[in-house]
Amino acid sequence: MSKRKQFGKSKSQSARRDSIPWKYYFLTVACGLMLVVGFFFAARSHFSSIDFGIKNSRLRKQIEELESDKRRLILSKEIALSPAEIKRAAKKIGLTEMTASNIEVYRPAPKEKSKTAKLIAEKPKLEFLEKAAPVKKEDKKPEVKTEKKLPETKEKSDKTKVQIARK
Amino acid sequence: MTKRSKKNTKQKNPTQTAFTRFMLIVAFFILWIGAIGVRLVHLQVNQSEWLRGQAQDQRRDLLKSRILRGTIYDRAERTLAMSVKVKSLYADPREIEDIEGTAQAVAAALKIKPDQILKDLREGKETNKRFVWLAQKRDEEAAQQLNKTLETYDLKKFDLPKFKGLHWREDQKRSYPYKNLAAQIVGFSNADDIGLAGIEQSQEEILRGAVVKKWQDRDRLGRVYEEQEGTREPPKDVVLTISHSIQYKVEQALEKGAKASNAKSGMAIVLNPKNGEILAMANYPSFDPNRYTEFPTENYQNKAIQAIYSPGSVFKIVAYGAALDSNLIHADEMINLSQGFIEVAGHRFNDPHATKPMSYVEALAVSSNVAAIKTGMSLGKENFYLYAQKFGFGQPTGIDLPAEARGLFRSPEMWNGDSLASMSIGYEVGVTALQMVSAYGAIANNGVKVKPHIIKEIRHSGGKPAVVPELVKTPIVSPEAARGLRKMLREVVVKGTAKRAQLNGYTSSGKTGTAWKYNAKLKRVDAGKYVSSFIGMAPAENPAVVILVVMDEPTGGARDGGQVSAPVFREIAEQILPEMNVAPDAGFVQENLIAENIPSEIPSEIEKIESPMTEESDEQPDDLLKKESKRLIEKRVVSENVKEIKRVEKEVGLETKKENKLPVEDKKSVKNKPAIVIPETKNKSSTEKNKLSAEKVKKKT
Repeated sequence: MSKRKQFGKSKSQSARRDSIPWKYYFLTVACGLMLVVGFFFAARSHFSSIDFGIKNSRLRKQIEELESDKRRLILSKEIALSPAEIKRAAKKIGLTEMTASNIEVYRPAPKEKSKTAKLIAEKPKLEFLEKAAPVKKEDKKPEVKTEKKLPETKEKSDKTKVQIARK
Repeated sequence: MTKRSKKNTKQKNPTQTAFTRFMLIVAFFILWIGAIGVRLVHLQVNQSEWLRGQAQDQRRDLLKSRILRGTIYDRAERTLAMSVKVKSLYADPREIEDIEGTAQAVAAALKIKPDQILKDLREGKETNKRFVWLAQKRDEEAAQQLNKTLETYDLKKFDLPKFKGLHWREDQKRSYPYKNLAAQIVGFSNADDIGLAGIEQSQEEILRGAVVKKWQDRDRLGRVYEEQEGTREPPKDVVLTISHSIQYKVEQALEKGAKASNAKSGMAIVLNPKNGEILAMANYPSFDPNRYTEFPTENYQNKAIQAIYSPGSVFKIVAYGAALDSNLIHADEMINLSQGFIEVAGHRFNDPHATKPMSYVEALAVSSNVAAIKTGMSLGKENFYLYAQKFGFGQPTGIDLPAEARGLFRSPEMWNGDSLASMSIGYEVGVTALQMVSAYGAIANNGVKVKPHIIKEIRHSGGKPAVVPELVKTPIVSPEAARGLRKMLREVVVKGTAKRAQLNGYTSSGKTGTAWKYNAKLKRVDAGKYVSSFIGMAPAENPAVVILVVMDEPTGGARDGGQVSAPVFREIAEQILPEMNVAPDAGFVQENLIAENIPSEIPSEIEKIESPMTEESDEQPDDLLKKESKRLIEKRVVSENVKEIKRVEKEVGLETKKENKLPVEDKKSVKNKPAIVIPETKNKSSTEKNKLSAEKVKKKT
């Protein structure tokens, strides 16, 4: 009787014993899983943060480089815009400095001839100059071209003579 | 029985057993975690510092760099000085195994001889140095080129250059894009970015960037994944009152004038009298601050504020200004100068102009010494001294530039018997160009002196102004006295010694000054050395600018201020007044721009010495043409004469130097003149001069 009872008891007891550990096992596994997942996420965020850090550092370096490039460009612009450099560039493209020999004044045709024009027109007064320096044919050429542009051809040709004589 | 019962009870309590086991495991975990926790606490609390250091040593780099130096701008925001980032290559000899190979490779890349590099690396290795400079301040392109040349393909190194033991270090380089422009104002800084001259020196504290620390965390491949940077306030920028365009024009005109007069040096200042702003301050000869080591050190000096000179007749405004302010004289009042000289304390002051009674206006126009001395004497020592001090002589103006000179102006107790007379005509005093222009600025500004300044504002790097200097105004003479003085100065330009300062389109006024230089060795003035100056203002009624031009030791023929400095003033004023949008207040003389009327840029040697300096006048173009034709004939004769003289001199073996080409009589006349009388250049025709010198040569032969 007691054996039966005992047997009967042990069965139920073993059933009870079997059902309780599973619960704990599950809990343990769940905890373990959480821990693993936590570690996984921590590792992932750590490596992604390093990755972002590297990218960030690269971008920062790029910004610095661009800023220094900007400064260099400003400097180059200033150099290019400096008066001395403009002068040099102008000379390079064929512009010449304003000197006595390369100034030509373009004026509208005056209604009356000025005193100066009359004086210049008086050839005999300038004879000594022509004698002193005979006019070269080569020198005359460019002046002939400009004559077309000017309204006062006579005055211009006289002026040319004075210029050549001066030379 | 008892054993069985015990066994039974054990068997009877399986839950208890499982629980106990579970608790044991939990306890084990708790203990384990506890132990870890204890260890962590121990590591974090007790050993944290040591561990952090260890970890940082492995992955962290500490970089120190200086923030880029502040920028210097002109008033139009154009950059006059700017710093850019550059790189310097250095070696860590401890990392290098093959010293010779490295030296060879680096020398080949830098295109230099390897000897010095080899020596430095060996020394570094022996003394366990971590730092040996190889190439300093290379720009980005040069650095990239070096990286390419030095690349070692089998080396695992993240940073450039991929060469063992070599590293780049960030540095900065100061650049001056306008080169010579305003070099003495802007100054320069040395290789360590320390300002050594000009604004760079005076504003060192504002411009100098602080050192910032930067920590970089690197992974095992050397990639930077974290950066921390210390925060320091960036340096400020300085905006100057000078205009690059005006400065360039002034420098060009000054150089041209100095070359034409064969002057040792020259200086020019353009001042806005209304607000004391210096628009230009030029020195000749100048230098390029980008390569300042290639120029003589004398060129670094900003003579406009650092050099003292005897002003001569330009100083007469002190006597006249004080007398007008004290109501002792009136501009149109007459003064008796018929004697032609004045004797003060046994010193005779001659005056070739003092031949007839004339008004004060006329007296100043012809620069009469007797009139100025009489005016000064009427003031008395104390009054004269007081007014000179009020004008700012004998004390620095306080401009924001380094090493400003005080000038020389003794107190009356130290004066000699004739000191007041000498000072009235600009001797026995030493002034700086800035003091002089500032005094004239007061006259231009109705008697109120505004402290001259060159810094417009100091601002943060973002553009927000940090410091804006306040205007310091000091009344010196009454507005009526200033007006009277301007009227007198106007006559100097119209009828007096400064006819060459007449402007086209604008009225102008000013005063010429020619003073002999003091020779410290001889302890008296040297009759062969002059300082020729002109200070003028335009427009005459309401001056917008005051311009000073000083030429030191002009030797090319004419030497007085009216002939040497006044044309430079004219050139400057005519160019800058339209740029400053100043409305013309006089008619434009329509010049016939034919070749003859325009002087060539730099006259030839013979022209410089021999050609008569024609007076500027209101002549008609027709007259000019006639005159010019005559001059042409004369010039031809002159050149023939000069050739003849040279030929004779060569035959005799009397070949003279450049400066000895001056007519002999001219030299003699200068020596015989008394020290105080200001020399006036006689406009002898060149043919006469040549005849004289030819006669002299003949006598010698």
